[in-house]
Amino acid sequence: MSVRIELNNIDLSYGTTRVIKQVSLVIEPGEFFAFLGPSGCGKSTLLRLIAGFEQCQQGDVLIDGRRVNDLPPWQREVGMVFQNYALWPHMTIRRNVAFGLEERRLPKEEINRRVDAALERVGLLDYAERRPNQLSGGQQQRVALARTLAIEPKVLLLDEPLSNLDAKLRIHMRQELLALQRELDLTTIFVTHDQEEANTTSDRIAVLEDGVVQQVGAPMALYDRPDNLFVAQFLGSANVVRGQVSECDGRPCFVSEGGLELPLPDDLGNPNRVQALVFRPQNLLRCDENDPAALFAGEVKLREFLGNIVRYEIEVQSERLLLDELYGRGLAPASPGERIGLSIDPRDLRPMTNA
Amino acid sequence: MNTLPGLTLGLALALGASFAAPAQAIENTLVVVTSFPKDLTRKFKTAFEKKYPGTRVEMLKKKTTAGIKYIQETAGNNSSDLFWASAPDAFEVLKGDGLLAKYSPNAPGIPDKVGAYPINDPDGYYSGFAAAGYGIMWNTRYLKAKKLPEPREWEDLEKAVYHGHVGMSAPSRSGTTHLTVETLLQGDGWEQGWAKWKFIAGNFKTVTERSFGVPDGVNSGDFGIGIVIDFFGLSSKASGFPVEFIYPSVTTLVPANVGVINNAPHPQAARAFIDFLLSDEGQTILLDKKIMRLPVNPKVYAKAPPDFPNPFKDSSIGSAVKFDVLLSKARYNLVNSMFDVMITYRLDDLRNAVKAIQVAEAKLAGNANPKAQALIDEARALVAALPITEAQAADPAFAGIFKKKRKKATDTVTGRQAEVEQQWDEFVKANYAKARKLAEQAASML
Amino acid sequence: MSVARHPGQSLLFWLIALFLLSFLVIPVVQVFFVAFVDVNSGGFTLVNFLDFFRSSLFRESFYNSFYVAAMSVLVASAIALPLAYFTTRFEFKGSVIIQSLGFVPLIMPPFVGAVAMQLLFGENGSINLLLDEYLGFTVPFMKGLNGVIFVQSIHYFPFILINLSASLNNIDRSMEESAQNLGSYGMRLFRRIVFPLAMPGYVAGASLVFLKVFDDLGTPLLLNVNNMLAPQAYLRISSIGIDDPMGYVIAVILVVFSLFAMWIASLALRGKDYSMIQKGGGGLAKRRMRPWEKVIAYAIVLLILLLVLSPHIGLTLLSFGTIWSYSVLPDGFTTEHYAEVFRETPEYMLNTLLYASLAATLDIILGTAIAWLVLRSKLRLRHWLDYIAMAALAVPGLVLGIGYLRSFLGVNIPFGDRPLATWWVMLVIALAIRRLPYALRACNSALHQVSRALEEAGENLGASRMRTIWRVTVPLMAGGILAGFVTSFATAAVELSATLMLVSTESDAPLSYGIYVFMQSAAGRGPGAALGMVAVLIVATGTYLSHRIIEKSRRERSFERV
Repeated sequence: MSVRIELNNIDLSYGTTRVIKQVSLVIEPGEFFAFLGPSGCGKSTLLRLIAGFEQCQQGDVLIDGRRVNDLPPWQREVGMVFQNYALWPHMTIRRNVAFGLEERRLPKEEINRRVDAALERVGLLDYAERRPNQLSGGQQQRVALARTLAIEPKVLLLDEPLSNLDAKLRIHMRQELLALQRELDLTTIFVTHDQEEANTTSDRIAVLEDGVVQQVGAPMALYDRPDNLFVAQFLGSANVVRGQVSECDGRPCFVSEGGLELPLPDDLGNPNRVQALVFRPQNLLRCDENDPAALFAGEVKLREFLGNIVRYEIEVQSERLLLDELYGRGLAPASPGERIGLSIDPRDLRPMTNA
Repeated sequence: MNTLPGLTLGLALALGASFAAPAQAIENTLVVVTSFPKDLTRKFKTAFEKKYPGTRVEMLKKKTTAGIKYIQETAGNNSSDLFWASAPDAFEVLKGDGLLAKYSPNAPGIPDKVGAYPINDPDGYYSGFAAAGYGIMWNTRYLKAKKLPEPREWEDLEKAVYHGHVGMSAPSRSGTTHLTVETLLQGDGWEQGWAKWKFIAGNFKTVTERSFGVPDGVNSGDFGIGIVIDFFGLSSKASGFPVEFIYPSVTTLVPANVGVINNAPHPQAARAFIDFLLSDEGQTILLDKKIMRLPVNPKVYAKAPPDFPNPFKDSSIGSAVKFDVLLSKARYNLVNSMFDVMITYRLDDLRNAVKAIQVAEAKLAGNANPKAQALIDEARALVAALPITEAQAADPAFAGIFKKKRKKATDTVTGRQAEVEQQWDEFVKANYAKARKLAEQAASML
Repeated sequence: MSVARHPGQSLLFWLIALFLLSFLVIPVVQVFFVAFVDVNSGGFTLVNFLDFFRSSLFRESFYNSFYVAAMSVLVASAIALPLAYFTTRFEFKGSVIIQSLGFVPLIMPPFVGAVAMQLLFGENGSINLLLDEYLGFTVPFMKGLNGVIFVQSIHYFPFILINLSASLNNIDRSMEESAQNLGSYGMRLFRRIVFPLAMPGYVAGASLVFLKVFDDLGTPLLLNVNNMLAPQAYLRISSIGIDDPMGYVIAVILVVFSLFAMWIASLALRGKDYSMIQKGGGGLAKRRMRPWEKVIAYAIVLLILLLVLSPHIGLTLLSFGTIWSYSVLPDGFTTEHYAEVFRETPEYMLNTLLYASLAATLDIILGTAIAWLVLRSKLRLRHWLDYIAMAALAVPGLVLGIGYLRSFLGVNIPFGDRPLATWWVMLVIALAIRRLPYALRACNSALHQVSRALEEAGENLGASRMRTIWRVTVPLMAGGILAGFVTSFATAAVELSATLMLVSTESDAPLSYGIYVFMQSAAGRGPGAALGMVAVLIVATGTYLSHRIIEKSRRERSFERV
């Protein structure tokens, strides 16, 4: 039922500007897949390429094994929900949703049935005779979704669908989206610049930057094992310590440019190529300054209370490190100016060769 | 500004004295409201300004009707000096409204009449300076291409061969056209005259809104034959268009006129201009190839081109009808209204009826079919039928409906023009439709 | 009215109201008054209106006017739609030609245009002479109502083209893409999505065409079609000695019906607030054409342009021709007509430039102000400004001219002793009033498409109302305002009917007057056409330059494209 999407060596330019550079991706059937990246990274362009609104100069787009490069948008059966929903203001909700079905010249009764079903599914059947500008943002979003789903597309493309909604609604909608996607078993691509959105919904994420796929993987895998600094920093907060492998007290260790000494992780690879170590703030452990477990000591410069966690900015030698602690667990909160001891499990350190 | 003219005048006088020229001092500006084309006005303007170097002539070009409206509307604060136009009727209107000032021009050698028409206003409010008569012009290329004979008389235009080839302006649109209509009505009598007009109109291609629309249409070949005032035909020919012009035997020569407007800001200049128009010099300008109007001074014809018509010699021009100005004036608006209701606005119905009659008559030609003949006669009578008699038309109370000039609040007029016209319209529409049916019936019998 | 809260708005409102009252309402009421006077008693009456509806001629005229106006909208749409479609949907080199030549028909001076059309398309015009000679039949392009529809459509279709193009360019790309995504394409997509979204612009343009044709006097008169309302009114008002109230009654009916039509148009537009915030470059996607599509597109565009420029082609031939009579082309060619025109009438050209640009400037100022008051203020009477200004469409120039003479003749110009009515400034005001509806509609539809949020953003960032209008609203409306200026300028430059009543000295006269004067004599046809060509060239150049300037500044201001 659900289909696979393949992008092979895609290269796309506007005039002389290369927007997509040699991108290859496979999106598995039924997968909820996210294109994540900052604005201008090419994620929307890639989505529009799949929908048929952009033409690539090189490479192939395959949907369900079929090359669709030369297929116009209206023959691709790829449903897309636009960032601004693109509901037609001159039509009622019902006419909006019926549009795609009418274009397929379905019998009237079937259109009515399917429109009702689609609106029912998003809980807006009572609003069928209204016009888009009489609906709230969240309702418009659902109509856009219903309109797309009504044609029973092979693929669902979502272009920043949640960006125009308020925070609460956003969380609610993304859960609904996911539930819907699972129910329909529909291959879905979701474009977003918000890592939380991508993490919460997606099976896998492709992180894009500057027209290049930086890394593809499941959210946790990306978080734990970023391939490069960009991915590491884009997905959550990260401490980046630049330096090189050296020797401390006769043992190999990592010495940062700021003079910090860290143990070496196990899966180091070629030690000569390591240029930085990356680790997550919550992996840094606090202890008393004089605790023997402390690998090094530092001074609390800044404390931010974020509700569930407390974030410290700590000066160690001339490096600044972030430390996250669950609030209300373990030690009593430290105050700025206090000196503390720090340690870290070498397994939580991630070496970077291309910093 | 008020103090300036004196100064400039003195200057002009001083300058004038050093040349040998004009006899009297006149103002430095002259404003003329005129319906004449630029070709005519420019020549006179240039010549006049040359003769009076201190004076600048402003020509305000307006269609006769618009010119009258303009003078009427601006009467309270008049800035125009002369009204200079063709139709004597227009001058009558202004005279009636008290908007003209008397002036007897200083111009020797001008006779009292041209053709059968007096040249000057008997009351002295306006003077004729050129004569014009209506006639027929045609496009020679058009006639040749469509293999049509050249027309000679008004009657010729009734012939079936000219169906759809004739153009004319409406009398309500053009004062001079009105004269032509009226001339035929007076020459042939009320009923005969109208019948003739209707059967000529049955051959119309169009009734133009402007009088110049007729020569324009003939010149460009839009239609082949036009009923026009002579100078349109003569000047078109002189400008190089492949056209000819003739006077039919029933025509009226009517003077084109000039009159001083009441309270003219520059009366001296205005009078000087009239005198200039009537001088030998001014009269000769009329013979310019772009103007081609008949001078009122018989002497000037000596300078005219060889085949130029001379009404003072050729007595056949414009003398067949003794034109009754008072009769014309009494039913002026009524005749215009009748023409519009019966012909202009019902042209399609009329054309169809006349065409049907022409077809039936062509079929009948040579055959003897009294029944068909009777039907055709009846159809002709229906087309010719008039909603009112001549006596009714002459009734001042009835004609008054078409005047609508309530001078005082106590004046009353009975009946409304729109009401009367609607009755006429129903009358002619039904008649034309019936005539067409009868003629078609006659044709089907043949 | 919340005078206290927005004193500036109220002041602006009353200033504009005063202007419209003085130069439109009062003069027209002076003329209309006659329609309600009983000719017999001099008292107030409605019997004249009863007469109107009783008269079969007037009923027929009414029907004809309606028919011609509706057909003209259809034909003009048929001309404008493909042109608008090609320019907005494709990367098409021809767009430049369309944009620059598309409005040229609007600047055809009266008289000459009809003469040229008769010479080309008349029963014995060039086309029919050729058809007759080679194919043995003729086409009655110019016969009766056909001719009026033909000439009017060609003359006024730019109203639709300009408004529709502006509207199309304002549609967000995603509107179209979402439809394509749902399986729609080609003409169906255009008909179901693009066109309905462009409806505000189309209705604005089409209603202008309808009203203009419905009220137009010049074309039917020149083609000698009398059985329509405006010519009936004119013929009756302008005839010698007949103070027949029917002409005035028709004038009133023209205004009332026009108001009715505008009301219908506004109903059609109600609730269609399609203003959209532009995302990035916005606008519809432009597609590159395939070679064979290009051939077809060029063929269609060239054919249409040939048709709509035929009056100008005819005019050019006429202005260079010696004698053109019952022949396909003039007998010979000469430049003498131009020489004559330049020798004798340079002041006409300067006057025209001065009057038309002053009038058009006044129009866009008034148009922007009124549009803003109507769409943005909450003043209770604001819509009346719109209604009254638009009603100017329904006022024949002749009626306005007579009204001015009636109203302002007794008043002297400031610091002078001449009557106000004969001052050339009054001519400018008359032109501005006559052309205000064009500018107003353009400004209105431009403002319609500026989202309120954009202005609020400006105010939020600390710009005052006035500053926001000046720095945000007006620049965003620039395209529409430009369209308004161009239309007002171009059409004011060739306006005749009001001019004819108000020109009191030849030195104050504009080109159209000069053309009229020339065209009244057989020998003046060539020079008249030459002067007409000069008018067309002057207006075209002026329009082109202003277009360039505003386009350039708009480009500089627009978003950088990534």
